[in-house]
Amino acid sequence: MSLRLDKSSPISGGSIAYIKNRAITRFRFVATLAHVPFFSRLQSLFGLMAVLLIAIVTSPHSAHGGLLFLESGNITDILRQVSEIGIISLGMTLVILTAGIDLSVGTTLALSSSVVALILTRVTLAVSPPVAIFSALCMAVTVSLFVGLLNGFAVAQLRVQSFIATLATMIGVRGLARWLTSNSNIDIGFGNDLASVFAYTLSTKLVVIGSYVFLSVAMALLLSRTVFGRHVRAVGDNEKAALYAGLPIKKVKLLVYTLSGALAGYSGVLHAAQNHQGNPNAGMAYELEAIAAVVIGGTSLAGGRGSVSGTVIGTLIMGILTNVLRLNNVDTNVELMVKAVIILGAVWLQKAWRRET
Amino acid sequence: MIKKIIGLTVVLLVSILGPGCNHKQDRKRYFVAFSQCNNAEPYRSAQNQLMQRLFGEKGDVRLVIADAQQDSSKQIAQIETFIRQKPDLLIVAPNERAPLTEVMGRAMAAEIAVICLERDISQPNYTTFIGADNKAIGKMAGEFIADALKRKNGTPKGTVVEIRGLLGVEAEMERYNSAHEALRPYPEIQFVHEAVADWLQSNARERMLEILRAEPEIDVVYGHNDPMAVGAYIAARELGREKQMIFIGVDGLGGPAGGIKKVDDKVLAATFYYPLCVDKAVEIAERILHEPGFHPAKQYILQPQKITAENASEMYKKLTF
Repeated sequence: MSLRLDKSSPISGGSIAYIKNRAITRFRFVATLAHVPFFSRLQSLFGLMAVLLIAIVTSPHSAHGGLLFLESGNITDILRQVSEIGIISLGMTLVILTAGIDLSVGTTLALSSSVVALILTRVTLAVSPPVAIFSALCMAVTVSLFVGLLNGFAVAQLRVQSFIATLATMIGVRGLARWLTSNSNIDIGFGNDLASVFAYTLSTKLVVIGSYVFLSVAMALLLSRTVFGRHVRAVGDNEKAALYAGLPIKKVKLLVYTLSGALAGYSGVLHAAQNHQGNPNAGMAYELEAIAAVVIGGTSLAGGRGSVSGTVIGTLIMGILTNVLRLNNVDTNVELMVKAVIILGAVWLQKAWRRET
Repeated sequence: MIKKIIGLTVVLLVSILGPGCNHKQDRKRYFVAFSQCNNAEPYRSAQNQLMQRLFGEKGDVRLVIADAQQDSSKQIAQIETFIRQKPDLLIVAPNERAPLTEVMGRAMAAEIAVICLERDISQPNYTTFIGADNKAIGKMAGEFIADALKRKNGTPKGTVVEIRGLLGVEAEMERYNSAHEALRPYPEIQFVHEAVADWLQSNARERMLEILRAEPEIDVVYGHNDPMAVGAYIAARELGREKQMIFIGVDGLGGPAGGIKKVDDKVLAATFYYPLCVDKAVEIAERILHEPGFHPAKQYILQPQKITAENASEMYKKLTF
């Protein structure tokens, strides 16, 4: 069965015929899907099960005799801990599906965390506290959205390679965040002032985990149930074919980078609340962790193939793994090495799987 | 396919169980968890080594060190995991003040004794805080500069270059401000140039090369840590000017890479030992673990120490482990 479309197919001359062929291949793919064993469609879920099993088998026991790993407090700890990277990786999934990459999300998170903390601590907003907090949140997300828009413009309109375009923004935005804050952290206190209320409210597990769940579902629906979602895949699958089919490539690209920026911005707001500070140096290497989660979730860096649910699973795999290694007091350096094995192993397994099916 | 999955699972299990299962046979009575903010800094790694040695000598403590790699979010997550494990004692060297405050409060609420090491947090969410006095370091450095210039030029006058650490960090501000304060009575001592080198030797070398081109006469270079002072020395030596000035640093770590060795090697004229705080922490920790009724003071502030050629070899022996 042909899961992959041959990208070297002749397009010039017979583009319409090619697209027709593609449609037929797609049809054939859907038709054969029914014969594929159930678990191979859920390969990343299989990986999650494996990691869960390992976590349960190796989990130390608590004083009461139960498994530490399965304590509800520990499970929600994990979910809270992965939420920031999780939200970023949702946007990253869309970008990677269009065969792009967004390196600027880590610094966008730092910018957003600085902006929200600056507004809440330095600006007097003449509105009621909930409205003030909500507007500060919106402003931080809007600033980040513009960073994403800038990325999208550079990639779609100026045709700069996404790696280069977002590398430039990554550097520039770090500078902007440091400049805005004069290199220092904007501390949020522990009193009753606006900023403190913001931090207390938005750092609760309910808000953090709830945001992640809500955004995951929303992005999954966006990708699987809307025309926009189909366009995203089509652009990454074969840009030329999508172009000849008359898809709004530029608009799609502009939108995915903008979304990625906005999501990184929201993640930055949660970061500020949870850390009680706006930090212009936050988010170091977060983009790489997000990319790792996306890749472990089965999304191909070549674009076109992958899913939001896969990314969520990839994020959970990394989170659970980190947690179980720490519960077992595995050395931090060993933790890094194990993660490297997991990333390589996951991608290699998926490749092997695709060949076999 | 199944073989491959089994293979990968085995690799994982071995990596987790290999280092992890030791504790099952461990007969040590106390579990002490240490959350270190960044192992990569020499000062922090010296703290780890000393703590491992001191607890190792006691014999009844199982010490686990987690490295937050200079990331407050990561450190919060690590402390959360420690709280689940209910250690007998939690020691935290916070990466930053505000972010760690809440989670340390949670550890206290879970009835875990908490020692806050070296860097204070926004609220006193700890059993005891053990820190060192950076203001005293700046003052000592200022006085040393005044003395050195008096010896060199007859009266306290001359030019000073300052190599600063990461801006916005409290240690940096205190080392900076209190040195300037100590030199205020000497108007003829001038700070002719200051550069920010983010605590790094390589950055300090680059900045110092630029400064040396701009300033024909420099008497003293004051680095906010030893590696930066050494970086400045390397730059001066490249231009053949290292004999015209003296270099002083801060931290005074032991071992062949530490600042004390550099004083002994005559690279630095002086360094100021910034206490690792670990010996005091272990002393207090032992009492918390063994004396049920013991209540430590809310804070212990340790004093720095001047290290020059006179006491360098003695201090080297004391602080190398």
